[in-house]
Amino acid sequence: MSKRLYRFTPIQRLFHGLLVFTFLIQAASGLGRMYMETPWGKALCLVFGGYDGAGEIHRGTGLFMLGVFALHLVYLLFCIQWRQLPGCLMGPDSMVPHPRDLGHFLQHVGWFFGLCPEPSLDRWGYWEKFDYWAVFWGMVILGGSGLMLAYPIFASSFMPGWSLNVAFWVHRLEALLAMGHVFMIHFFIGHLRPRHFPMDRSIFQGSARLETMARERPAWLDRLKTDGKLGERLTDEVPLARKAIYMVFGYAAMAAGLYLLVGALLHATHITW
Amino acid sequence: MEKKRIIPRWLAGLLVASAVLWGQASPAQEEAASPLYRYKAYEASTGYYEAYETRPRHQRPLIGITGLREGVFPYSPTAASVRNRSRLGDSHRALSFYNRRTCESCHTKASENLHSIRGNLTCRQCHGGEPIASIHHYRSPLNPIRRHAYVCSKCHQGASASYGGYIIHEPNPALASTFRTFPVLAWAFWIMIGIAGGTFALFIPHTVLWAIRELFSRDKPSKPGSTP
Repeated sequence: MSKRLYRFTPIQRLFHGLLVFTFLIQAASGLGRMYMETPWGKALCLVFGGYDGAGEIHRGTGLFMLGVFALHLVYLLFCIQWRQLPGCLMGPDSMVPHPRDLGHFLQHVGWFFGLCPEPSLDRWGYWEKFDYWAVFWGMVILGGSGLMLAYPIFASSFMPGWSLNVAFWVHRLEALLAMGHVFMIHFFIGHLRPRHFPMDRSIFQGSARLETMARERPAWLDRLKTDGKLGERLTDEVPLARKAIYMVFGYAAMAAGLYLLVGALLHATHITW
Repeated sequence: MEKKRIIPRWLAGLLVASAVLWGQASPAQEEAASPLYRYKAYEASTGYYEAYETRPRHQRPLIGITGLREGVFPYSPTAASVRNRSRLGDSHRALSFYNRRTCESCHTKASENLHSIRGNLTCRQCHGGEPIASIHHYRSPLNPIRRHAYVCSKCHQGASASYGGYIIHEPNPALASTFRTFPVLAWAFWIMIGIAGGTFALFIPHTVLWAIRELFSRDKPSKPGSTP
């Protein structure tokens, strides 16, 4: 049985799982309302009890997401090593963008064309940091504009009514960006690219295959070896039943995402923008 | 002699009827009924009135079109197309064959808004019945000074004047003309399009190239049934 390297804590996996679940509900209920003029949109809304039901669930799930986001901010406060500030924020275990990420990106693109060797990544790749901060940005933009649209009377008591027009378009475009990025780019990089095919289970299972890590993130493995922490991070493969659950959950999420993406693209010309 | 007796009886009857039917006047009734009291109540204020408290000044039925011609156009049948209809009590006054037309036959784009498409509202549910006043007419329910109370709050309970500033017939944010008519919306739209377009322009080719590179790289094949 091949060894695996521990990557994600249970609470990190829980945050990701909740994000997957709520994001798909938001995508389906939001697209259902947006595409209400088409049979496809009506069918999506029907899952949530119709146009009004989809709106209620969209608002409720949005509030839940903001609550989870607030909990994540509290979690970050506990993760920060306050006595080692600000150095710890720029370290290899931090998700904070670093100038070396730009170097890794350029070297990676060079490797695509065979111009240079593959970059020696540490714990987090530049695309993973981008995805993480994209969610941050998205939660602020979508959450802020979503709150305005969910409580328009209250919002208009301290800002002009036309700001709701602006909030609506910002909410709509940011949501389309988020869905497009997750359903096309995140799914492909995380799960479908040849090295990870058929699926990268590490965010569900918590650990990644050691061989894959040695190939993609040699700098991290070297650092763990140097610090003598590699042994404590090695784990075994989980039983087949758990692997099957992760695969089913991951593929169900991906199938739902692709269904929404294809449906939205096919019907884009049939709605009033 | 008979006439002299009838008159006092008639006057007496009138006095009795007045006493029964009129009742006793109270100061509050006087205050509510008297135009003099009402005038004094207003006049006791600063003496300055808001625009909505007074009749508007007479508006000339002549308008100028900037950049088209200096001066004003005459208000005549041949120049009817330049009449400023946004101030008329009947905005469709003197339109030929009006009773055979629908709203959408002239206001084609106006029906493409969220209230019509998603809320299933008809034009008349907000704009009212005939004659449909222009929204800037001072007695129109859609006039911005009372729109929130007369129209918005029929569905949106508690709507304020600020809330009434929501633009139902918003311009297409992608059009260049929107930078002039609704600049904040146009800038917000194009900034978001720039962010989305930039993200996709960077990451879609990046992902495709990555997949191709991995497909043709010389990595050792994974064990059967083993996934990362």
